[in-house]
Amino acid sequence: MEALTQRRGGWLVAALVVALLLAALLAPGCGRDEAAARSVLLAVNAGVEAEGLKQAARDYERQFGVRVEIVEYPYPSLFEKLLIAFSGTTTTYDLVMLDDPWFPRFAQMNGLRDLAPLYQTKKLDGPDADFLPPSLALCRHPYATGRLLALPYVGNSQLFFYRKDLFEKHGLDPPHTWDDVLTAGLRIGAAEKMHGYVMRGAQGNPIVADFMPLLWAFGGELLDADGRPRVDSPEAVAALELMLRLGKIAPPGYVNFNADEVGAHLAQGTAVMGINWPAWIPTFEDPVRSKVAGRIGYAVMPSQKNAGASAIGNWLLAIPRGSDKASLAFDFLLWVTSPEAMRLSAVRGNPPTRSSLFEDAELRQRFPAYPVQQQALLGSRPRPRSPVWNEIENTFGTYLSQANAGVYPPREALARAQRDIVAILERWNAAQSR
Amino acid sequence: MERRPVPLAPTAFGHRGHALFPYFFLAPCLLLLLALTVYPLFYLARLSLYRMTPEGEAFAGLANFARLVTDGFFWRALGQTLVFTFSALTLEFLLGLALALLLHSQIRGRSLWRALFLLPMILPPVVAGVIWRLIYNPNLGVLNAALQGLGFDTSRLTWLADPSVALAAVVVVDVWEWTPFVFLILLAGLQAIPEEPYEAARIDGSGPWQTFRHITLPLLAPAILVALLLRTFDLLRLFDQVFILTQGGPGFATETISLYIYKTAFRFYDFGYAAALSFVLLGATLALSHFYIRLLQRPERTA
Repeated sequence: MEALTQRRGGWLVAALVVALLLAALLAPGCGRDEAAARSVLLAVNAGVEAEGLKQAARDYERQFGVRVEIVEYPYPSLFEKLLIAFSGTTTTYDLVMLDDPWFPRFAQMNGLRDLAPLYQTKKLDGPDADFLPPSLALCRHPYATGRLLALPYVGNSQLFFYRKDLFEKHGLDPPHTWDDVLTAGLRIGAAEKMHGYVMRGAQGNPIVADFMPLLWAFGGELLDADGRPRVDSPEAVAALELMLRLGKIAPPGYVNFNADEVGAHLAQGTAVMGINWPAWIPTFEDPVRSKVAGRIGYAVMPSQKNAGASAIGNWLLAIPRGSDKASLAFDFLLWVTSPEAMRLSAVRGNPPTRSSLFEDAELRQRFPAYPVQQQALLGSRPRPRSPVWNEIENTFGTYLSQANAGVYPPREALARAQRDIVAILERWNAAQSR
Repeated sequence: MERRPVPLAPTAFGHRGHALFPYFFLAPCLLLLLALTVYPLFYLARLSLYRMTPEGEAFAGLANFARLVTDGFFWRALGQTLVFTFSALTLEFLLGLALALLLHSQIRGRSLWRALFLLPMILPPVVAGVIWRLIYNPNLGVLNAALQGLGFDTSRLTWLADPSVALAAVVVVDVWEWTPFVFLILLAGLQAIPEEPYEAARIDGSGPWQTFRHITLPLLAPAILVALLLRTFDLLRLFDQVFILTQGGPGFATETISLYIYKTAFRFYDFGYAAALSFVLLGATLALSHFYIRLLQRPERTA
C-alpha cells in the first residue's frame, strides 16, 4: 500500500512537470501570426534621438494600419544587440537605428539591406536631393560612393558652445582659432573664477570625439588617404599639447567626463566654453534647467592651420538583411524620413538631415542655432570609416586619456597609439586576406 | 534498528524501473547542466581556436593564444585584476572577521547592527556603483565636501579620474559592498561552533588570543574557506562596478580582465580572441581556488 501511493505520487509529479514544460514551450506563438504579418519591429537607442520616432510610429499605425513596435536599448547594448543580430542569417528586427561610426562594421558584415532595389519597386531612382550630402554620404558603403544601405534620420554634428555674454563683457570676439580658445579661456576663467574650458576626457569614444576637431584643425589625420595610421605626426602632437593646456583650465576630474558632465558644467554656468552635441541646446535654453539661458553662443569648430571641422554623428535607419518584411519596413522608412514625419523628430530637439527643415521658418524660430548647425553639418567630417573603428577608437582613446591624466607625455602617448593602431589594422588585414 | 527495504512493486518501467525512476527526475537538471555548463565550455574551447573573417569563422590554430602572449593590454588587465583581487580580499576578510567577532559577542543593539551592516550587500551592484560615482565626484561629491569641511584642499583630489588612485577607489567600493557577505558567512560559522571547547579552554586557563588561535580559527576554517573562495571567484571576474564607475579608465588604470574580454567580444567583435582570454581567466581562477583550498586544509591536517 505504501509502495503504491509512493508510486502514484511520483507519476503525478512527473506528469505535472511534463505538462508544465509542454505548456511553457507552446504558449508563445499561439494566434499571433495574423497581427505579426502587419507589424514591423524597430530597434532604437533609448534616448532623445528616438522620441520623435515613437510619435511617428503611432501616427503611422493610425494612418496605414501597420503596427511599428519599438524596442529601446541603451547605447552600448544597442550596438551589441545589432552586432549579434547581423551575425546570423535571420534577425528579429525589421528596422534598426544605428550610430554612424558603427555603419562600416555592419555594412562590412553584410548585415544591411541594399535600398536601391527597394527604391526601384517604388519607381524611384533613390533618395531625394533634399537630404544633406554629408549625411547621405555616411549611408553608403564604401563611404560616399558605394551602395546605399541606410537613410539618415538625426543630423547631429558637433557644435562649439561659448558664453557670448562673457566674451562681450571682456571685449573679446567669438573664438576663431584654438589659440583664441585658450587665450579667452585663461582670461575669462581667471576673471570670472570659472573653468575656462570643459571637455569630454573619458577614454574611448568621448575623448576621441572631442579630440578629432582639434586634430583636424591642426592639420593632422588619424588615418591618411591610404588608410595608414598617422597619429604620431607632429600635427597630432601639437593638437594633443593644446588639449593638455585646455585641460589645465578644465574642471578637475575631466578625464572621466562624458557629454553629461560637459553639458552640466555649461548649463550651470561653471565653464566658459566646450564642444557638445546640438541635442543639448534645448537644455541650455530652458531657464528651469539652465542658469545661462539666452547667454550661450553657438559656433562652428575653431580653426588653426586648417579650417575647423566638426565630427559628424548622425543616427541612421537601416533594414537588416535578415528581415523578411523588408517591403513593409521600407514603406515606413520612406515615410518616417519624409520632411513631414522628420519634423516630428525635429520639434523634439533632434536636428534633421534635410535642408528644407533646416531652412523652415517655423523651426528656425524655435531653434535659433539652426543656421550654425546646418553650416557645421555641411562642413563636418566623419570619423574614419573603418570596420575596426571601435577597436581603433578604444585604443586611441585609452592613450589620449592617459596623456590627459599625465601617465605619458603627448609624444610618447601618440607613439604608443600609433604602434597599437598599426597592429590592429595588420591583424584585420591578415584576417581579410585569408 | 535495521530498516527493512520496502518491497519492490512492478512499475511502468518494469521491475528494474525503480532504479531508473530517480534519473527521470534528475534528467531536467542534468540536461540543464549539460546545456548551460558543459556545452558552453566545449564551445568556448572551440571558439578560441577560430578567428572571425567576413566569410565567417576560420580555423586559426593557436594564433589567438600567441597574440595573447604579446598583448600588453592583456597583461596589464590581468595584473590589475590580481592586485585588485588580493587587496580587496584581504580587506574584506579582515573587516568581515572583525565584524563577525564583534557582533557574535553580547553587545547592545546587536540585531540592529547586524541589519545595518548587511545593507550594502542588498543593493544591486549597479546602484552601489552609481552611488559611489556620485560620492567620488570631485565637484559635487560628498567625499570632497566632507574633506573641505575638515579644512583640506580638495582641488586636486579627483579620485576616479586620477590614475594612481582610481584602482584603490574601486577597491574601497568593493570592500564596502562585499564585506557584509564575508561577515555573514563568518558569523554563521561562529554561531555553529559548540560551546564545549570554549568551556574546556576556560577550565585549562587559556587566554583570549590562545582561545581564538587554537579553537575559534580552526573550527571557523570551513566557513573561512567558503567565504574566501566565493569572494575570489567574484573578484577575479569583477565587471559591474568598474563598468559603472570608470569603464576601465582613466586610460587603462582600472581595466579588469572581464572588462577587457567584454570589449574584445562585444565592442570589437573578436569572439575568438575573447574566448582565448576567457580560458586564461578560467585557468587563473582554478589555480587560485586550488591554492586556497590547500592553504586552508593544512592546519586541519597538522592539528
